[in-house]
Formats: sequence, structure tokens, C-alpha cells
Amino acid sequence: MPSQPSVKPVSTPPLLELDHVSRRLGGREVLCELSFTLQRGEVLGLLGANGAGKSTTLAIIAGILQPSSGSVSVHGRAATEVGQHIGWVPENVPLWPELTVTEALDACGRLRGLVRETRKSAIARELSRLDLGDFAHRLCGQLSLGQQRRVGLAQALLHEPDLLVLDEPGNGLDPVQAAQLRGLIGKLAPGHGIILSSHDLAEVEAMCSRVVILHEGQVRCDTPLADIRGKLDAQFRAIANTQASAAA
Amino acid sequence: MSAFTIARIDLKRLAVRPFAWTLAGIALAMMAWQFLLGVSAFMHAQPTVPGATGGAGFTDNVIAPYLLNYVQLCLVIAPLVTMQALAGERGAQRLALLAAAGANATRIVLGKFLARLVFLWLLLIVVATLPLVLAPATHLDWGQFGAALIASALCVAALVAIGTACSAFTPEPALAAAAALLIGEALSLIDAGVRLTGGDTGWLGWLALHTHLAPALRGLVRSEDIVYFLIVIVLALALAVRRVDGDRERG
Repeated sequence: MPSQPSVKPVSTPPLLELDHVSRRLGGREVLCELSFTLQRGEVLGLLGANGAGKSTTLAIIAGILQPSSGSVSVHGRAATEVGQHIGWVPENVPLWPELTVTEALDACGRLRGLVRETRKSAIARELSRLDLGDFAHRLCGQLSLGQQRRVGLAQALLHEPDLLVLDEPGNGLDPVQAAQLRGLIGKLAPGHGIILSSHDLAEVEAMCSRVVILHEGQVRCDTPLADIRGKLDAQFRAIANTQASAAA
Repeated sequence: MSAFTIARIDLKRLAVRPFAWTLAGIALAMMAWQFLLGVSAFMHAQPTVPGATGGAGFTDNVIAPYLLNYVQLCLVIAPLVTMQALAGERGAQRLALLAAAGANATRIVLGKFLARLVFLWLLLIVVATLPLVLAPATHLDWGQFGAALIASALCVAALVAIGTACSAFTPEPALAAAAALLIGEALSLIDAGVRLTGGDTGWLGWLALHTHLAPALRGLVRSEDIVYFLIVIVLALALAVRRVDGDRERG
């Protein structure tokens, strides 16, 4: 009996990979050698104090900022080349206040190069998924913060990206809206890779399966949520000790 | 995604802004007033013009100064229309939204420029149709009218490009408008002193908008004038693209 040729397992690249990403701004190192990966189906929370580099990291992943060194790849290709796989919602959702929700989504669809029929069905899908039907013909400038966030999410989801990048998604939301957001992210998680930033541990605990803690532009902890408690205590103690000795 | 998509979005936004309509209304009212004044002066001069058929006619006396007035009005309007193009958008992260959707700096700048250019060209078309209502009653020089229209359109495009560039270089729309107004006025008046004294304007004259607009208003389209306007447009847009592109590095 002929021996079976050994089959080498084909390794698929992670959905998102940051490889030693650094960013310097005006001589100051905002991010320092960040490396982590994200797989489809994972929800990764970026935790850190204000100024830790969360928003900068997310903007680099979304291709808005350029890293000073290192690389960001999505499906193994440079993130700047595969914008169609990324949906980005910044902290202050950029909307066109003069346009209605439908017009704004249509404009986003055009920007993404969706053809007319695809655009129409994608708008209908997102209006229904994000419960925006009642506001479809309201001007974006007249929406509440929670509604604006939902429109931002709809804009980001319109082209069905694999990777969702959400910067402080729960900021400014009331408890009901925050619960709705958690439910939505839970629904989206199986088909996407989601990376979100927050400085609220409870919010991250409610939504994420893995946590990366940033401190002064460096990864201090990268761990599944289940392991977080013990590590967090140690991490925060270490950071507190560092700050205390620096102050002394 | 093309620059036309961005231009289309911006035109739609301009179309629903009261600011754009107010500006257009004021501009058209002022131009209508200028036209009436021009026609009135022309009518009063009629009996005293010797050999009316051979001398300066309706196109020279009314249309050319009228279109020149529109260009001068655009020295003020263009900065107002372009000030928000990039300056206001950057702060609201709408440029980042375009960048995230895959638009590079060239497409963003071109789209913003085209939207504002179309707005001011549409105004120019409306302005230019006013004298045409008198075409059946006058001996309109169509060649001169066409030349003046082409030069006015190019001059307006240059002013819009300058405004777009100024908008790229500052985060404050008001600052962008002030800078664009200053540059436009400087290009308009740079050789005024020499012109008044009747001396040779030299390279200052070559830089001045008036030098390249005046021949076309007399019916003479020169390639050097077209090249001048194209240089101003390309230079201003290239600077704007460079600045917007640098945003990815500066953050």
C-alpha cells in the first residue's frame, strides 16, 4: 500500500495582524512596537487610560494614519490596500449633517463603489439591522448621539467588511442604548473580527472575548477575557507602582 | 471611487445649505443690478456715439465689463464657497471618512474643487444668460462673448483652486477664506500701481489676473493666458493634495 504523502496544513493568515507597529509624533513615541493578531469571530477590546494610544492604533488599522514603522495586514495584505475589508467608526462619528440618513448611507455606498442595486439592498439591510427605519428620512444633523452612532455603524457595515474597528463605541450612550450596542456587537461577532477601544472595563467585559491593555503606547497585557481579572490586578498594580515611583 | 463621487456628495450638500442659496441670490441680484446699470449707460451713450455701427458696441460696452464684474465678485464669493471645503471637514473627521472609504488625497481635493467649481460655473451660466435676452435686439459679437466667457470660467476656476488650497492649509474656515481673499486680491492688484503710472508692468504684469483676462474680454483668446490660468489651478491643487496627503503622517 503506497504511503500517503504528508499533507502540510495550510496556514491561513489571521484576519488582522499588527507587526511591531510604532508611531512617532513630534519626537514623541505614541505607539511602541505593538504586535497582536485578531481572528474572525473574535471581539478584541483595547483597554487603556486616555492618551494610551488606543485611538491612534485604531486609526492606523483603519488606514487613516501611517505607522512610522512596522506593518498592519488584513488577510495577509497591507491594510491600506484592502480598505474594502475594513469598517471604521471613530469616536466622533463623521456624518454629513445636511443629508438624510438614507442619503448619507447612499453616499457611503457610492464611496465604497457599490453599484446601484447592491447599494439599495445594503441600505435596506442596515436600516433594518440597526433599527434605523424610523429615522431613514431624518437629517443626520438632527439625530441624537445614540442614533448617530448607529448611523456610523450602518456606514461602516454597508460594504460588509470582515473587520470592524470601533473607537469608544459606548461613549455618551445611555444604559438602554449601551445594552442595544452590546446586543448588536454580539450578533455581528460570529461573522466578523471586531476590535474596539474603551477605558471602561465593564463595557469590555460585556462585549469582548479578548483584551489588549495599552499603557503609554505599549502592550502591557494580551489575554483572553477569562484570564483578565488576576492579570489586570497585577498589571494595574505594576502601572500604579511605576507611576508612584516616577512621582517620587 | 472617483473624484466625481466626492464632488457629487459635496454638490448635494451645497444644494441644501441656506448659505449657498443666500450667496447665489446676493450674487445674482448684484449682477442683475450691474447689468441694468450697464445697459442704462449704454442707452444713454447711444446718441453721442458717432458711427455706432463701426464703434464699440453692446458686447464691448456692456457684456465685457459685466463679466469682469462677475470675476471681481468671485474674488469674494470663491473664498466663501471654498472655505469649508477641507478646513471644516478635517475637524469633523469627514476627510478621514473619505480616506477610510479608499479615497486618496488627489481624489479628495479634486472632488472638493470640482463641486465648488460647478457651483460657481452654474452661477456664471445664469449670469451670462442675462445679456443673451437682449441678443435679438442688439448686434452681439458671439466670438468676443465666447472668448470672454472662456476667460471668466478659467479665472473663476483659478480662484476656486486657490480657495481650496487655502482651505487645505488651515483648520479654520474663516482663516482659509481670509487667506484666499488676500491671495486673490493680491493677484488682481499686483500690477495696479505700475498700470496707473503707465509704465512697463514686466513680470508683475504677467502675474496679475487682469493681464490674462483683459485680452479675452476684448475677444482675443491667447494660449499664454490659458496656460497662466492652468498653471495657477494645477499649482494650487498640487499644494492642497500634498497637504492633505501629509495628514496621514501628521495625524
